[in-house]
Amino acid sequence: MSVAIIDAREWQKTFDLRTGETVADRHPLFGMVQGVQERHPYPGDLDVAGNRWVTDTALDLMEQYDPSFVFLTYAQQYFSGRYSVLTDADWPATVAAVFEEVERFVARSGFTPLIVGTGGMTPLAASIDLTRLDGLALCTHWSARYAGLHDPSPRDLQTVAAHPEIERIVTRDDFRQLFRDSPSDGSRAPEYLLVAREGCMFKTAGGAFRQVRRVPSPGYFIPVSACLEDVSDVTDIRKAVDRRISTGRVALIFVEGLGADDFPWPSRKVANGREWFFYETGDAQYLTITTGRHQVFEYPPGYRYFEEDGPGKEFPFSGYFRSVPEDTIGATSAARSIAVGNRSMFMHMAAGADISLECFARNLYNQGTMAVIHRSDKA
Amino acid sequence: MQCNYCEWRCDLTGGKPGVCRMYEEAGGAIRERFPHRWSSCISSRIESIPFYHVRPGSRVLVIGTMGCNFSCRYCSNAFIAKEDPTIVQERMLQFSPAEVVRKAKQMGCWSIVFNVNEPAMSFPTLQELAEVARSEGVSLGCLTNAYTTEEATELLASIFSFFNIGLKGLSPTFNREHIGIPSAEPILRNIRRLAATRHVEVTTPIIESVNDGELEQMARFLADVDPEIPWHVFRLLPEDEMKEARYPNVEKIAGALDSVRSILPYVYFHNFVGSEWVNTLCPGCDSVVVERFSLGCGGDRLKAFHCVEKGCPDCGREIRLLGDVAEQWNSREVNR
Ligand code: SF4
Repeated sequence: MSVAIIDAREWQKTFDLRTGETVADRHPLFGMVQGVQERHPYPGDLDVAGNRWVTDTALDLMEQYDPSFVFLTYAQQYFSGRYSVLTDADWPATVAAVFEEVERFVARSGFTPLIVGTGGMTPLAASIDLTRLDGLALCTHWSARYAGLHDPSPRDLQTVAAHPEIERIVTRDDFRQLFRDSPSDGSRAPEYLLVAREGCMFKTAGGAFRQVRRVPSPGYFIPVSACLEDVSDVTDIRKAVDRRISTGRVALIFVEGLGADDFPWPSRKVANGREWFFYETGDAQYLTITTGRHQVFEYPPGYRYFEEDGPGKEFPFSGYFRSVPEDTIGATSAARSIAVGNRSMFMHMAAGADISLECFARNLYNQGTMAVIHRSDKA
Repeated sequence: MQCNYCEWRCDLTGGKPGVCRMYEEAGGAIRERFPHRWSSCISSRIESIPFYHVRPGSRVLVIGTMGCNFSCRYCSNAFIAKEDPTIVQERMLQFSPAEVVRKAKQMGCWSIVFNVNEPAMSFPTLQELAEVARSEGVSLGCLTNAYTTEEATELLASIFSFFNIGLKGLSPTFNREHIGIPSAEPILRNIRRLAATRHVEVTTPIIESVNDGELEQMARFLADVDPEIPWHVFRLLPEDEMKEARYPNVEKIAGALDSVRSILPYVYFHNFVGSEWVNTLCPGCDSVVVERFSLGCGGDRLKAFHCVEKGCPDCGREIRLLGDVAEQWNSREVNR
């Protein structure tokens, strides 16, 4: 049974991750993990201390659990980049600050780092308004480049075909064909996938609360540090990590919002998708890296997410995830593993680490932290 | 010329902006400045609004506009409620009433709930929406601060069939210092009025050592209005001007609420992940009749609905519920 420990600040509660039922039993790792949560309250997504929280929490957890594999995500700069007005001068300082944290972690832990920039950001140039279509256009999980179009009218199809900021319209069959080797069959992909041009994002029915300032820049290639061997594709990273775990202590570190141009360390550019499709930062990219297989269709862009969100959905604390993904690095490795991050609630699912500790924040509202214990049986 | 939508009764003569900046004088009448502009149009779960006693488990379309007539120091939506409405127009969604109702149906939503900001900011638009929604069999609900004038409260009652009313505090000092209004009296009057003919739930955000001393007094007031009124006590997540404030202590507030459960049977304590005070207990026999997950800002969700029709499965006592369980409404087929 996977267990979730919620720390809502000065109040903790433990649940079965799948059913959401309260767990009363004492678990061998509860006290240790709860102590780490207590010592490290999350400062908030836009707080400059957010990345320091990742390093501090990870080092503390490592001291208690002694893992051989560590998965980290640093995301404060991604949230700031997306929502704050940053000047050209601000960004290098922001990048320098996150790498100071990465360096501090590496120096203190002594782990061999493998650092992935999840893709750069570019100022928002234009919004593509899909709200007035007859059919239903949907963007899911903060995607800017992709929107799903469901039940379009002939007029809708003409409108999107003529739109100068729409780069491509892809039918479900063509999308499935592109990733025909995916574990999921793509049947939940939208009827049409709309692809925005560089710098543009889709505007669909949803929340217009916060002004988006930056969107993912073309991320056909992303930077990966310290790749001495043959890593040329995002699906190769998993093998590189596996090889290192077999001989030593490894940290796979995701730095959100960074592309090859921003990356301050020596790095190799690796393919981050296929043909016209590149992964934006998010669950699909995480799962692809941690399983070593393309995972576009688990939660496909623009799908009808709300249909899976009714009563009876399992994993109530795991957002839109319906199950624990198989074959992730943490899940398959015999080595002890931990994950710490401030990106989102999907980290505990994507990393599959024995113990995950992540912020519990939604739409930038800070509710505390959640730890997930998937495994406690590793010597 | 005076605006009579809320108790500020602003003088808008000669282009004066009014407290909310959402209305203007034009041609001898009060006119909405930004009609049919929405800050939100998104599907959600009704428990996440929160409505715990309206068609449990149903999917709703959440809409909102912009602007507010309060200036709560802890506002969690300041970027839309306190922002100059002129500035945010560019990113607003533009939908006619028919388009809003169509979006609701496309997403399989049983009802439309006005959330995010205060509905009194957009009366004419909402009146038009109500007309279309009614003709399409879609009901409307809202969250409101209920600071409306008596005549505008009648308008609210004509537009919405269910309400979650914010009762933030009773003392004039609290209302002056934290909410920016002289008194809660109009709110108390309007709770009484709306609860007389509409389904009403009430929400009170708690700030420790500020308004937690009023819990019992508020419960007694609500019980006097309607002894079965559902009451949501929120652990306030301080934002905006109070961002640095301490988070209220869960055990302390929960302990204080234990004693008011003898006054009101449907008392909930949430707005934080994992709360164990979100289930509905039968007022007759204390059986758990509706179970929920509390996900804080992630929105609450239905876990299990045990009622038989609208009655307790153990003792048969009727449970306060508006509508039926909406499983069919959440299926795709009903949209076709
Ligand atoms: S609705 Fe706005 S303009 Fe009208 S009285 Fe209230 S605050 Fe003033």
